[in-house]
Amino acid sequence: MKRISRHWINRCFVFAAWTAAGLCGLLLAGLLAAITWKGMGAMNPEFLLTRARDFGSAGGIFYQLAGSLLLVVAAALLCFPVAVGTALFKSEYLRSKRLKHLSTLLVYGLNGVPSIIFGIFGLIFFVNVLDTGVSWFVGSVILAMMMLPTVVQAAYQAIESIPTMYRESARALGLSKWQIVVKVLLPQGLGGAITGLFLGLARAVGETAPIMFIATAFSGVDVPGSLFEPVTTLPTHLLALAQQATDPQALQNAWGTGLVLMGLVTCFSVLGLVSRTKLRRFSQR
Amino acid sequence: MSRQRASLKVIHPSSEADGDPSIVARGLNVWFGDMHVLRDVDVTLHPHRINCIVGPSGSGKSTLIRSVNRMNDDLEGFTCTGNVRVGGRDVLDDGTDAVRLRTEVGMVFQKPCVFPRSIAENVLFGVQDQQRLSREERSTLVEENLRAASLWREVKHRLDAPAGSLSIGQQQRLCIARTLAVRPRIVLLDEPTSSLDPVSGRAIEELMGELKKKYTIVLVTHDIRQAWRVADHLIFLCDGRVIEQGPADQLFRSPAHEETRQYLSESYCAC
Repeated sequence: MKRISRHWINRCFVFAAWTAAGLCGLLLAGLLAAITWKGMGAMNPEFLLTRARDFGSAGGIFYQLAGSLLLVVAAALLCFPVAVGTALFKSEYLRSKRLKHLSTLLVYGLNGVPSIIFGIFGLIFFVNVLDTGVSWFVGSVILAMMMLPTVVQAAYQAIESIPTMYRESARALGLSKWQIVVKVLLPQGLGGAITGLFLGLARAVGETAPIMFIATAFSGVDVPGSLFEPVTTLPTHLLALAQQATDPQALQNAWGTGLVLMGLVTCFSVLGLVSRTKLRRFSQR
Repeated sequence: MSRQRASLKVIHPSSEADGDPSIVARGLNVWFGDMHVLRDVDVTLHPHRINCIVGPSGSGKSTLIRSVNRMNDDLEGFTCTGNVRVGGRDVLDDGTDAVRLRTEVGMVFQKPCVFPRSIAENVLFGVQDQQRLSREERSTLVEENLRAASLWREVKHRLDAPAGSLSIGQQQRLCIARTLAVRPRIVLLDEPTSSLDPVSGRAIEELMGELKKKYTIVLVTHDIRQAWRVADHLIFLCDGRVIEQGPADQLFRSPAHEETRQYLSESYCAC
């Protein structure tokens, strides 16, 4: 009797787990299918390679795509050294367990800050107090701050997972702490940090709220001439197009923009996963 | 550059004679937190001999040799009193540069740990200012040290192969070559054969016999038969105390303490 009930409980549990996973997969597949189905209509070389006209209801998304890439590439360049440095400090130089725990809490705390708060902070601190004006560079700084927890955690875990015997062997050879960082920890931990960076980029490229007030313009902008000029981006363009939902051409372009944005997010996520495998193999050569 | 070249010709580190490569510990006490691991240890380790430290697990053998090159420094709760003199200089003194000390006192661990690089790069891993060396000088350094570790014949045609592709026994000899490339005067071997098969273990034992001509060897082992085969000087450690020390022949033939006799004959100690 007991055996039968355990058997059925086990089957129910397996069924529940499959259902949960299936629902999750269906939701994602449905969303991707809908965006692809609707967005493919707008997809052609002209859409990707020309500038927007009539507030986006005509023309393409070239400058929005370029603006989004500019923002996230600059954010990655700003974020990466700070994140790796923080992870190294936490792993190698922070001795106190309490301080390590506190730093983990801070990183998680930063990860939990709503994106609009980052936007408001950027608006008050950079645009108002420092008087930078609406600037793509400020947007990159804010996106870098948002990516920081993901990259720090990924880099920290990658460094922590390096077996202690590598550190011990290097120390026993007379290498200083800095040399151990450069010759042992960075080559082996970099893969994990780069994976984290791509995952952070996947999140950052789709953000609207933090950059809406501080880095972007809805239209009339192409290539910025300096650090302190706005850009147009895919998420804000999508927002602008969605507000013109009565215009079928604008709606079509909105779906197309959504598809390109999803493509970018997917690209960064896939690069993150691929880099994890490839770079791990490289570091373990 | 020329100074570097000149220094490369010196193969025998002990012939530099900048101090006696003997090790003398006096009144050495080590704690990890509340745990008193070494208690008033007085030992003398002799140059150009295989100084073998034996004792049961947890007797403080590894802690003792790690005190010689200050590898305990970063371990949590580590404190110590007493002194350890290497060539007459107290290495536990605050003024001693521990990083530099480790270039004079090399160490090989229980499990071979090669870096995820080529065989040649592993040999050169600890060599400072590598970029100042020419390609030929680097090749010479690699060959010299692989020969010294009796590995050259086996790997000379695949120096660029990943070090991880070597057998475990070869990896341990590569670790020894890597240690020798830093030009230490003393080599600490912490149970270097315990993770190896008997054939590889014997190869390392033969190598130790060669190395003692140039280096002071300190070997930690819990294998009494190995100690009997290779040791010149024997130290028996139990529960953090030195029970007996002296020439290995004498300790094996007529130990002064019952605990030593018991441990060396039965690998058991009641202390």
